[in-house]
Amino acid sequence: MTRKLVQALPPLAAFTVLLLLWEAGVRYGFLKPYQFPPVSRIARGFVELSTTGFPTGVSIWSHALTTILRVLQGYGAALALAIPLGLVIGALPVVDKLTAPLIVFCRSVATLSLLPLVIVWFGAGELTKVFLIGYGCFWVMLSNVIAGVRYVDPTLVRAARTFGLKGLELYRSVVLPAALPRIFAGARMALGVGFMVIVGAEMIGTIEGLGALIMEARTFYRSEITIIGMLVIGLIGFTISAGLMALERAMLPWAGNLDRVRR
Amino acid sequence: MKPLSRLSAASDLTLGLIGAILAVAAWEISARTGLVDPAIFPSPSLAIRAAAERLTAETVADNLFWSLLRVFSGFLLGALAGAAVGIAAGWYRGFGAIARPLIELLRPIPPLAWIPLAIIWFGLGEPSKFFIIFLGAFFPVVTAAYQGMRSIDPMLLKAAQTFGLSGVPLLLRVAVPAAAPDLATGVRIGWGLSFGVLVAAELIAADRGLGYMIINERNTGGSVGVIVVGILLIGALNLITDAAIGAAIKRWIGRWHGA
Repeated sequence: MTRKLVQALPPLAAFTVLLLLWEAGVRYGFLKPYQFPPVSRIARGFVELSTTGFPTGVSIWSHALTTILRVLQGYGAALALAIPLGLVIGALPVVDKLTAPLIVFCRSVATLSLLPLVIVWFGAGELTKVFLIGYGCFWVMLSNVIAGVRYVDPTLVRAARTFGLKGLELYRSVVLPAALPRIFAGARMALGVGFMVIVGAEMIGTIEGLGALIMEARTFYRSEITIIGMLVIGLIGFTISAGLMALERAMLPWAGNLDRVRR
Repeated sequence: MKPLSRLSAASDLTLGLIGAILAVAAWEISARTGLVDPAIFPSPSLAIRAAAERLTAETVADNLFWSLLRVFSGFLLGALAGAAVGIAAGWYRGFGAIARPLIELLRPIPPLAWIPLAIIWFGLGEPSKFFIIFLGAFFPVVTAAYQGMRSIDPMLLKAAQTFGLSGVPLLLRVAVPAAAPDLATGVRIGWGLSFGVLVAAELIAADRGLGYMIINERNTGGSVGVIVVGILLIGALNLITDAAIGAAIKRWIGRWHGA
């Protein structure tokens, strides 16, 4: 415990010095306050954001909630489609080979490049954002589920066969558990993609959500609000990925070594 | 063994080709038969015809050139800086103790979220786009480089020390090659991110490039065909460059780690 504290000291000190230099730099006119809003101003901005909100009436929490809900809708839909589809494709080698180049290409299509087309389809509303998140998450998830099923250690499968398992029973009790770590890793990656896509998608044609908040704040020369929004986005992303990692460890104790395996 | 594996690789390719042709055919037919309204999702042939009418080869080439220039310059410097900082943070403990917490603090912020701040700092011109593409490459590479350095087998370093290597030669000739596979993974991820960021940046704030080309077509009420062709072009570009970078990395790493 004390060792950890001692280890945390130098970066903490460096960080404090950096912030103080920043604050002083603005006070004495070396840095422009618009380009580098000092810590004191960011703190005041945060109070304003969580009480009156920006634009007035929309607090940072409701921006965050909007963004999270959008991501969860698209992500949920993508998972609900990709997992069953991937399990089937992964189990049928011929189908896998037929679809492989198609999936690689669809995955290569930059999700946000679909934005102009999707606006033509669904207008600039909620559905467009959810669709884009869903698209980005879907292909990442699908290719990971397929790979998870395809690249189960053949020794495991042969061992199970020796014990007389075959067909659906083999798939259910050996292949699926062995594929789960990879599927989980895919789910984590997909969520990362979802967050990336939503920030970009919200910068165009909307005023609600964290992406819109940071872009709007810039137009009104409120750079401190932009920075707060960025920090909140980072915090949400960090919390979710840490949470998923903890969930993975709790649910799949046999997956411990995955991070050390080359993927 | 070898001819057999070559044979199966060939049949994989054929199957994949068949799958792709089937998909394109289904798309073409569904638009031709009116199953999908061609005005909102034109078939490939219609899209290409529309694009050929509205765009000259010169316009496309110009936009393509700008996109490639942006993404390559930003990626190259971002990956180099990321590798240098990550390797240094893994090798020099003091530097690592200070640099790493700062990086970990900023890393969860997706590169796209930097767009407004980049505009505040650098204006609407090229430098702000360069900056966020740079970040797209920097964070994955710096993380991977650091992790690669930390997971080097200590026996390897001890053995090299026994042979009299130390300091910078030990770092460059033993530690960096040992960390190379991790570094390479980071570079691949960084390329993908840089590319995605490029497209987003061109959609949001640019006056040329492929991303601009398609959003401008939409904003001026042009043809959906041009948008579809643009999307496919961006996807193909991503695929080809990613494959090229993957192959280059394989050759580079192959020197130390086998093919």
